[in-house]
Amino acid sequence: LVDVEKNSLFASSFRGAHSRLTRTITQQRIRALVSAHQDRDMKKRDFCHLWITRINAIIRGVGVSYSYSRLIRNLYNKQLLLNHKILAQIIISNRNCLYMISNEIRK
Amino acid sequence: MASSATFSTLVLSSSFATQCNVANRHHQSCFLSSPPKIPIFSIPKPVSLKLTSLLSKTPTFFTIPKSSESDAAVVDVEPDNVEPEPEPEAAPEPEPEPASVVEASKEEPKREEIFAVVMIGGRQYIVFPGRYLYTQRLKGANVNDKIVLNKVLLVGTKTTTYIGKPVVTNAAVHAVVEEQGLNPKVVVFKYKKKKNYRRNIGHRQV
Repeated sequence: LVDVEKNSLFASSFRGAHSRLTRTITQQRIRALVSAHQDRDMKKRDFCHLWITRINAIIRGVGVSYSYSRLIRNLYNKQLLLNHKILAQIIISNRNCLYMISNEIRK
Repeated sequence: MASSATFSTLVLSSSFATQCNVANRHHQSCFLSSPPKIPIFSIPKPVSLKLTSLLSKTPTFFTIPKSSESDAAVVDVEPDNVEPEPEPEAAPEPEPEPASVVEASKEEPKREEIFAVVMIGGRQYIVFPGRYLYTQRLKGANVNDKIVLNKVLLVGTKTTTYIGKPVVTNAAVHAVVEEQGLNPKVVVFKYKKKKNYRRNIGHRQV
């Protein structure tokens, strides 16, 4: 592929003039790559937010005035190493297991 | 580059106790994960690291896990209490790994009834018997190498869970490295507007 063709191939799925006009193709290509670069880091943050929200939602159903923050504090005190990703995954797949963990930690 | 390893063999190890002891003693986080980062659990990478995880626990539980429906609330294994839990089950567990493919097999009579949380290269993965897993490159891991993972943070079955503080005692996950390779290329493009600054860099994580 010639470089020009490579360029337009990159933007071939863009909308309107962004896939047809060469100057705008280069501009949009730059913006797309930059966004991809930034969003690769944002992806990690987004997932962490998601896991925290999920854990919080489930934990609040366990008991009165029990929340995500208390769970995490107990986790640290009891020296558990499970991270948020795993906790969220356990929640959706095996809710029982999470209740066991939280009960164990609360003692 | 993605080789999807299939669930080929079921390794049944009868003497899990001995294996467990041996595995526990000798291997202590001997491998390091090299730079390449492997994707999140949901994203499979071309390179598949099959980790055969053999979940072996020497401490016996006061009740056999499968029959203890009443012990639903029972959790964790204290290092003091020696409760051997007989779980002889080895199932190949593929682990896709951009760097290395490890096949995980757990010592469990039935598949998918037990899971463990294992820490590899500073990351935690949920591991099932006979499933592939993609992890970062492990130093000194060639193809068809057997790896024992001792950093097991949590072991769970349908009725009981063993919580590690921080590590579950006498639990090991055996894995077989299936493949080593690189991730697909990622373009790292740096750009500052109006300042005439552009850098185009390609990157393949191991």
